[in-house]
This record gives sequence, structure tokens and C-alpha cells, in this order.
Amino acid sequence: MKKRSILLSVILVLLILLSSCSKLGKPAEQAENGAEEQVLLVWDQFYREEESKVIETLNAEFEAAHPGVRIQREVKVLDDLRTTVKLALSKEDGPDVAQVNQGRNDMGALVEAGLLLPLNGYLEKYNWGSVFSTSVASRNSFTNDGKTFGTGSLYGVSPTAEVVGVFYNKTLFKKHKWDVPTTFEDFEALLAEIKADGVTPISFGTLDGWNAIHEYSAIQHLLVSLDYINNLTYGVNNVSFDTPENRQAAQILQDWANAGYFSDGFPGIGYDDSNNLFKAGNGAMTITGSWLAPELLVGTDQEFGFFLLPPYEGKSGLAIGGVGIPFAIRSTSEKQELAAEYLNWMISPRAAELWAGAGMLPAMALPENTKVKTDNLFGDTLTAWNTINQANAVGHYIDWATPTFYDTLVAELQKLLGGISTPAGLTEAVEADYAAFLESRSK
Amino acid sequence: MARVKYRYPGESRWKGWWYVLPALTVYLLFTFLPILETIRTSFYQWDGFSQQKTWIGFANYLEIFSDPKFHNALRNNLVFVIFYSIIPILIGLFLASLLSRRPIPGFAFFRTALFLPQVISMVVVGVVWRWMFNPTSGPINIALNWLGLGRFAISWLGDFTWALPAVGSIGTWVQYGFCMILFLAGMQRIQEEYYEAASLDGANALNQFLHITVPSLRSEIAVALVTTIIAALRVFDLVYTTTRGGPGESTMVTGFLIYRSAFMLNRIGYAAALATVLTLIILIISLLIRRYQRHGVEEDA
Repeated sequence: MKKRSILLSVILVLLILLSSCSKLGKPAEQAENGAEEQVLLVWDQFYREEESKVIETLNAEFEAAHPGVRIQREVKVLDDLRTTVKLALSKEDGPDVAQVNQGRNDMGALVEAGLLLPLNGYLEKYNWGSVFSTSVASRNSFTNDGKTFGTGSLYGVSPTAEVVGVFYNKTLFKKHKWDVPTTFEDFEALLAEIKADGVTPISFGTLDGWNAIHEYSAIQHLLVSLDYINNLTYGVNNVSFDTPENRQAAQILQDWANAGYFSDGFPGIGYDDSNNLFKAGNGAMTITGSWLAPELLVGTDQEFGFFLLPPYEGKSGLAIGGVGIPFAIRSTSEKQELAAEYLNWMISPRAAELWAGAGMLPAMALPENTKVKTDNLFGDTLTAWNTINQANAVGHYIDWATPTFYDTLVAELQKLLGGISTPAGLTEAVEADYAAFLESRSK
Repeated sequence: MARVKYRYPGESRWKGWWYVLPALTVYLLFTFLPILETIRTSFYQWDGFSQQKTWIGFANYLEIFSDPKFHNALRNNLVFVIFYSIIPILIGLFLASLLSRRPIPGFAFFRTALFLPQVISMVVVGVVWRWMFNPTSGPINIALNWLGLGRFAISWLGDFTWALPAVGSIGTWVQYGFCMILFLAGMQRIQEEYYEAASLDGANALNQFLHITVPSLRSEIAVALVTTIIAALRVFDLVYTTTRGGPGESTMVTGFLIYRSAFMLNRIGYAAALATVLTLIILIISLLIRRYQRHGVEEDA
């Protein structure tokens, strides 16, 4: 009797362990009915409601156009995606298609480990060269060893585009009779004028850190050349970060902070909080990426517009911009043809139309007969994107430059804005990080 | 502790293990093995997903000891000990002696209300306090301004001097309720006669507290010290949800460094070495406190 109960309890424990193992072990495929049903497992990070609707629509249309194919979608927020996708892509039952963040720590590391499929064959097959430019392609390109960024094979295609510029509150601008500036000098004069009128010129908060990089680099982009920013980001031609231009940009940013142009208490305000302040009419402008536009189109009685940070006299006037997080294919996937077809679907004219309808900039050109409204904030961001594209003035997110650049830049910018460091202190500290990276690579 | 030797005649001495087996299996699988695996990984250079794993011996550990980021993080962890451990224990002792000595109307309410922070998830605590500390819309600065103390209404979480104490004080808020409950339980053991005798001898409340209450609570204080210090050394969630280590590196803690190395920088080996060092530090401190406690028990006897 006793023995039996012991035996039973042991069996029970083993059963529980086994059942949980088998649940984990089996991929959730249920291809019983159609016998030939193919399941495409896709991970994306379009979790916001408007974005998610676009993906759901595209997925449903893809399934309708491909009988026997079912898309199993898994949505994650970016942080969650970044921490789990690398391990998932190394598994046999991992996602066939996944969004992979650009830059060395993510796409670069995955390419180095041989986990992503080079897409050059499909680039020709689908004629993607007519969909996006080589400058866009290089942002999703690495050499096959994952060491050199910006050249080599294509590893992803991006459905959306981004440009960092100035959102402004048209309602407030009208009320106070402020004009949209066309030169950097005008812009700085406008900041002073807005401040004098008792309004916060720029809604801004550095508690989350990363948006300080955009704030700084947006000014930096007005002062440097496209070659410099390309060299810096792709880690070629041994440029330095400790340059007069980078120092000047830091000086301008610090001056703005000292002049009180940012939200009161900005070091203790998070990114979303500062956007909410701006949306509620507390602050005349905010400098961030075009991805904010959909949120500013609904749920507010203020009217908003967007312009590029105006060029510094005699300089080329670059803007931070680029394409959104790309879709990539797992190199060990057995459904590569279907996966490539899916990628092509995500950058189709139809996708462009849907993204534009949601207020997001598509990376692809809109069809000529588009019905999307462009006489609003979305139209402003589209104009800005087209402007820098045509002028070949699309810059970079500089935090891609080295694996630790993001952390170093955030820490140094917070020190600069907190007044415990100097512009020279910033450029020297960041250059130390950059030089160490270049050296580690040359070994 | 006395050894229990009662056994039915003829019964196997291994029988007890069967009862322990389920818990032991879970412990071995989900606690012990991962710890061993972490220690093993700390000797490798590994990005966490590729096949390429390089044995590098103690290189990760050598790097840790010369890494200024780690020194800074450990220093911040020690500041957290003050806020997570020392201050909550003092507040807990004070509140417990207030609540235990004479019957207070609504005692159960106070006990529950003061313990409440302990049962809330740390992520929720972090998000709520981030809002509390908001420089413009947060209640703390609104209250300060309302009291005419506007010049003290600073940007708490973004200030290089005050961010660490601000995040630390959230820890105080979370931990003191636990200490208080622990001490309340311990105080019920102290015989009332000691206090009577002491007051007959002319000892005032402070002297009674210092010479009767505190020594009698020695083992509870030791337990409180161990648990709160462990919490202070491995803090991550609070920093992640409030400041992410900023401004600059002023609230960077070891737990956050581990997260960053492992998941953002693909340096699993280095992160594992950091985790191992942190675990060793925690073990050593716990053992020291245990020795202090044993020492005290022997003295009492």
C-alpha cells in the first residue's frame, strides 16, 4: 500500500515533467485538415493599435492570395523582441520571418552567427532595386562575416521610413503669430521668442535617455557632411568623433538647456511624458521622429505640423532618417521561397497605401492614384522624407556605430545636459568608445 | 536544533527522501543546475545564440575587477544597502515599538496599511513612483510647491545628486513594512516583566528600548538584515522601471549591468561572471551576519 502510493507519486511527478516537456517541444502546427497547409511563423513588433491593424490586413490578404498558407503571427514590443529573437532564430522551430533591429548588436551579430538568409537572389527576382535605393539597402546590409556594416549582402527589407525633425503646434503658432523658420538662425531666434512669450519652446525629457541621442544628433547632422556620418556609422575610413562640428553641436544643445528652452525639469521627464505634454499644448515644438505622427493625429484638439530642422548657413542640411526595423528570414527555415514572397508583400504598393493611411511613412513610394490624405501632419512628414531623399541628405542613427555607443552617448549627453560635463568632455568620452571599437575590430 | 531520530522499527531510513523528491527535483532542475551552468558560462566568451563558444578562463573575472562601470555599480549597490536595509530596520524598530507596547485603536489597520508596499509588484512600484517623482505633474513636487517650498521641487530622478537617494527611498518605502512585521512578531516574545523591572529601576522608554527590546530582537534583526541586504544587492526592477541607470551612470547597479551585458551587448559570459561575483558577495555578507547572530545567541546563553 505504502509502496504503491510512493510509486504513484513518482509517476505523477514524471508525468507532469514529461507533459510539460512535450508541450514545449512541439511546434504549434496543425496541418491535419488541408494536408498541405503551410504555416509561416512571423515575429513582428508592430504592437501599437494602428500599426497592428496594418499588419493584420496585409496578413489576411496574403493568406487569401496564397491558398493553403496560414500566417502565425507573434507580436512583441521592441525590447522583448530584441532579447528573445536571437535565440529563437537559432532554433529549428524558430520564426521563419522576423523583424531584426539594425546595427551591430542585433543584425550584425545574427549575420556573424550565420542565422540570417542573404536576400540578394530575391533582390533580383522581385526587382527590389526599384522599390528602395542603394542608400536604404545599405542600412540593412552586412558583409557575410557580420563585421562590416553598410556593404555586402542584403539581410532585410524595411516597410516603413523615419525622419527626425520638428513637430510644432500649429494652434499655438497661429495664436502667437510665430513663423516656421527656414534657417537655423531663424530657428534659434524663434526659440528665444517663444520663451519670451512664456511658452516652453521644446517639449523634451531625458529620463529614458535614448531620445537625447536624437536631440543631439539632429543638430550634429546640420553641421557635418554625409560622407562623415556614413563613415562614422559604418566604421570605415577611421574618422574621429572628437571633431569641432560634434563639439559645436554639443555646445548648442547645452546652450538650449541653459537658456531654459526645454520643458521644466526635463532630466526627470520620460519620452512618453514629454510627448503627452506636447500633445496637450504644453510646449510649442518637439524634436523627434516621424513615428510620432499617428499619435498626434487623433485624440487632441490641437493641430500639429512637421518641418525639418532648418539648415545651418553654408552647410548641407542633413537629417537623421532611415528605414524602420526590417523583416529578415531565418537561414535554416524550410519555407524560404514563401518567406521571400511574404517580404515582397510587406513592401508592396498596397502596404505603402495602408501605412500611409495609418499616418506612418512607408519606405516605398505611394501609388500615384493614392486616396490617402496628404494635406495634414502626415503630408508634412511625407514632404520632409521626400525632400531629404531627393537631396540625398538622409543621415543615420549614430548609436549604430559601435556596440556600446548607445549607452555611452546616453550617459554622456545626460552629463552634458546636467551641467556636469562640457561639450569637449562629451566628444572626448564618445571618441574613446569609438576608437576602442575601431581598434578591437582591426585585431 | 536537535536531531529527530524517531523511526518505526524496520522502516527504511531513505523513506524521507521520497517526500522531499518532488521539491528536490524542482530545486535541482530549476535552481541548482542553472547556477552551475551560470558559473560554467562565466569562463567562456559567448554571444548567447551562436555555436561559437570560446573558453577564456578567468579573463571575464579579470575584466570585472578592472571595470570602472562595475566599481561604480557596486558602490551604488552599497548606497542601496543604506536605503533598503539600515533605514527600513530603524523605521521598523520604531514603528513596532510604537504599535506593540500599548493597545492602539485600529491596530490591525495600521499593521496592514504599513505592510502593504511589501506585497505590491516591484514593477508597479517603480511605475507609480516614477509618476510620483515627475517634476511637473508628480504629487511630490506639487505638494512642495503648494507648501511654498518650490525651490526644493527638483527633477528628482534626473538629478545627479538626488536620483540615487530618490530611487533608494522607494526601496525604503517597500522594505520597512516587512521589518516592522518581523519585529512585531518578535516583540510578542519579550516578557512584560522585563519592562516592569526596568521601569522600577528608573529606566526611561529609550533605555528600555535600547537595553531590552533591541537585544531581544537580535535574531529578527539578523533575518531582516540578510533579506533586505540581499534585496539591495540584487536590485534591478526598480532601476529598470525608473531611471535605467541614469542620469549618466549615477543609479547604475550591478543587476542592471548584468542585464545590459547579457541582452543588449550579447556578452553572456561576462554577464554570467558578473552574476557569479554578485552571488559570492551576497553569500559572504549573509554568512557574516549569520555569524554575528550565532555569536549573540551564545552570549545570551
